[in-house]
Amino acid sequence: MSELLPLAIVLPIVASAAAVIVGRVREESGWYLALIGTAVQVVLAIGIATQVFGDGRITHHLAGFPPPQGIQLVADGLSAAVLSVVAVVGFVVLGYTRGSETHRTAFYAGYLLLVGGLAGVTLTGDLFNMYVFLEITGLAAYALVASANTGRSALAGLRYLIIGTIGASLFLLGVGYAFVATGTLNMMDLSAELAAAGYRSRLVLASFALIVTGLAIKIALFPVHTWQPEAYASAPDSVSTLISALVSTAAAYAIARILYSVYTVEFFTAVPTAQDLLVYAAALSVLAGSVLAVLQSEIKRMLAYSSVSQFGLVVAAFALANQTAFLGGTIHLVGHAVMKGGLFAAAGVIAIRTGARTVDEYADLAAEAPIATGTFAVLGLALVGVPPAVGFVGKWYIALGAVAEGVWIIAAVILLSTLLTLAYFARVIERMYFGMDVPGETAAVADGGRPTISPKLAIAVAAVVAVIVMGLGATWFASLLEPTMEFLFGL
Amino acid sequence: MTDVASLRPLAAVLVSAIAIVGIIASYRRPNLREVWTILAAVAKFGIVASMLPAVLSGTVYVTDMGTIVAGVRFALRADGLGILFALLASGLWIITSLFSIGYMRGLAEHAQTRYFAAFAASLSATMGVAFASNLVTLFVFYELLTVATYPLVTHDETNEARAAGRKYLAYTFAGGVAVLAGAVVLQWVGGTTAFTPGGIEALAAADPVVARGVFALLIAGFGVKAAIMPLHSWLPDAMVAPTPVSGLLHAVAVVKSGVFGIARVTLDVYGPGLMADLGVGIWLAAAAAFTLLVASLIALRKDNLKRRLAYSTISQLSYIVLGLGVGAPAALVGGLLHIPAHAFMKLTLFFCAGAIHVETHTDDISAMAGIGKRMPVTMAAFAVASAGMAGIPLLAGFVSKWYLLIGSVAAGGELFAIALLVSGLLNIGYFWPVVYTAFFETPEEHDTKPVIEGPFGGRQSARADGGEEHPAAGWARRSWRGDETTWFMLGPILAAMVGAVALGIIPYQAWFLRLVEFIVGGL
Repeated sequence: MSELLPLAIVLPIVASAAAVIVGRVREESGWYLALIGTAVQVVLAIGIATQVFGDGRITHHLAGFPPPQGIQLVADGLSAAVLSVVAVVGFVVLGYTRGSETHRTAFYAGYLLLVGGLAGVTLTGDLFNMYVFLEITGLAAYALVASANTGRSALAGLRYLIIGTIGASLFLLGVGYAFVATGTLNMMDLSAELAAAGYRSRLVLASFALIVTGLAIKIALFPVHTWQPEAYASAPDSVSTLISALVSTAAAYAIARILYSVYTVEFFTAVPTAQDLLVYAAALSVLAGSVLAVLQSEIKRMLAYSSVSQFGLVVAAFALANQTAFLGGTIHLVGHAVMKGGLFAAAGVIAIRTGARTVDEYADLAAEAPIATGTFAVLGLALVGVPPAVGFVGKWYIALGAVAEGVWIIAAVILLSTLLTLAYFARVIERMYFGMDVPGETAAVADGGRPTISPKLAIAVAAVVAVIVMGLGATWFASLLEPTMEFLFGL
Repeated sequence: MTDVASLRPLAAVLVSAIAIVGIIASYRRPNLREVWTILAAVAKFGIVASMLPAVLSGTVYVTDMGTIVAGVRFALRADGLGILFALLASGLWIITSLFSIGYMRGLAEHAQTRYFAAFAASLSATMGVAFASNLVTLFVFYELLTVATYPLVTHDETNEARAAGRKYLAYTFAGGVAVLAGAVVLQWVGGTTAFTPGGIEALAAADPVVARGVFALLIAGFGVKAAIMPLHSWLPDAMVAPTPVSGLLHAVAVVKSGVFGIARVTLDVYGPGLMADLGVGIWLAAAAAFTLLVASLIALRKDNLKRRLAYSTISQLSYIVLGLGVGAPAALVGGLLHIPAHAFMKLTLFFCAGAIHVETHTDDISAMAGIGKRMPVTMAAFAVASAGMAGIPLLAGFVSKWYLLIGSVAAGGELFAIALLVSGLLNIGYFWPVVYTAFFETPEEHDTKPVIEGPFGGRQSARADGGEEHPAAGWARRSWRGDETTWFMLGPILAAMVGAVALGIIPYQAWFLRLVEFIVGGL
């Protein structure tokens, strides 16, 4: 059933086009179309995941043309995991956009296009194809960011467009160099041809540098993160939930895919400098992102800088290139998507309930919005790495991988990132629960209003449940990923 | 030792976690809410106590809940050491809960539901720490304990409480990171983090430099909660919490989870043999000796009663660490026995401080002249417990200190023995003035107190309201029959005091010495 792979890419894109057409007749139809489209997408993703985890890697040759001429789609454990996250988050976040005044047909067309692009990034086995899907993802994301219809979001969208395009161009340039060096664009083929061309040849090195830099911009690693905080902060809450969970995640997936399936682990053995540069750049991102997050006064900007830091961890894990760290990176990639999406969802609910959007305005909100603030606190602590949530599991494997590799500085940075994450979450939690004013004359008994649940809030609560379940089920996930790792590490 | 699969360790952890639901759900009905707390406390103690007889005959109850990360089981094992800590914490939770009711209602405190819920969560985490079968599981509960106690430290919601909470989080999470780092490297070099009585074998074969590094990381990590100097400064600040919290958590559960972690590291990860080979025990003992002397000296200067008790705690915790560092069997018995001994005595002292605060709103020792008239039973219990702290025979502190002294001398650590004896003197030096001023002085007529009030004295708060620090007509006289405060507070004070006396007179019949000798015998 390898036909599921093209279907998972085509379906959201077709639904996106359909949304535009149907939307001319009935403006409200966009949401329903998106709901159906993403629901089917979830089913497809589950189908692909069961196949991959049951029978192993699936490949599909588009229109029957075999590679290297034809386009190949590939699903292994890593792509199945990321695709599942894309599908589920894409479906769930629709609960957030429902009933919004500003979200019309064009919004849902963009939304579906984004989901389709992301699915494409995770499933493609062709380097040029990956560029195309990254661009589709990017274009949809630029539009969605600007959909808040404010000057601020338009500016942020424009800035995102310019910087994102630079990143994509660098990526494309790198693909070109690789093509010149090898004459092929298929990933499997490239991995063999690059080895034949010599890992230390200038063309190969240049292509690696360009591709990785381009993706670093898309991921928003420090210091090329500058598009990201404003984009997250000024976008509508539903969009920041969606793109914070998925867009950088797909780019980080792309970097893992290219490191392991195109350049492969042997490239790092041959060119240790490239590995060191990437590892230390990622570690720098961990530190700088955290420090910048502490300095923010706006909650959404703080969460955005937090992503800069967390993706530093993920990229460092992938760049360490051993199995333990790779497993940690994958778990943290998936876990972070849920945690960060949940945090943005909770922040959105808090903003709707109370109007609070800055750290200072969060003072004493715990009584006003008990469930939303509680969710925010738990997800924050999960991201800090308090066990048994998934944040701890990812960090454990990454740190263990770093220690096994003997890079003590990186191990220290990873462990310290716990404290740095705490530094920016603790001040919010402290304000929410212990206020900044003199304690009120509350009655001894009643401490809290009657909590209410809305669909938006339910999404954040679901993220809390998912984060803990994922933490407890991480071992099972690791066993599922075992064959993929053996394949990627050439065992 | 025989392992028996059982749900009892898990039940001991979960029972108070489940009670949280009841506590929060009945937030409108305080009496029902407190019933949940008491029920959970009694049930928890019952579950732990039910395991005691079989554990003493060599059975280990195990709840295995699968793998947490590759190669590490998420499992609870109720062995001797775990039962020691769990029995103590769960038993004392019962009387602390009763005391909490008296204290919180006596002061009409705000956010009582949050208080009782966080307390129950803390006890769940404590049980997890006690029963954790490996370092990673221990770390899981160690971190949860930090999170669960944070709302209790910041309970007052004043700037001071928030600052204390921040400091608490920063110190303990930093300690947690050190523990995690140690666990990661241990997993890498030793291939396991599972606790093995007598030590993990693979560790003995590892590079000594790495082994020492891991030891330093783990001790520094647990040393934060065990308040080894210079990692102690969060503890005096955390005294801003309500007094029952200071009593059970910051003299028993939280600080002793740190000490307990050190015990696991020294006994079940490294083992006395490997520690002697690596030469790390002596450094641990030296740090402990330094802490117990310096903390006692600082305690002399503290005028705030709870702060003085906090420095006393810092000092007494290092007795335990000293025993673990010296490593001779008698020293281990003394150190481990000091865990319950100190718990009973210090809980009595904190309860007394709490009762005084509720009844008279007096916190400073210099304002307590003659307070023995007003609160005779409370101050008598205070006198008994402080005598125990100083190591006077027939009280708990004497038995444990006796073993510590024998062990130190046997291991050739005469200097440590001298430090212990000097610390005993200092204990008298900082506790006797409290008793003396309560019973034998009056506000009008009292001796000068150069250590507190002199130019270099420790008194921090100059009073702005003209120095009216006690009722103008002196303390009203109350009878010895208990009308000085409610029985919710007086009962727990006496119960804790009786525990301290029982451990001093009949340590074997009170189970704890038997349990400790069983643990040390099994190494």
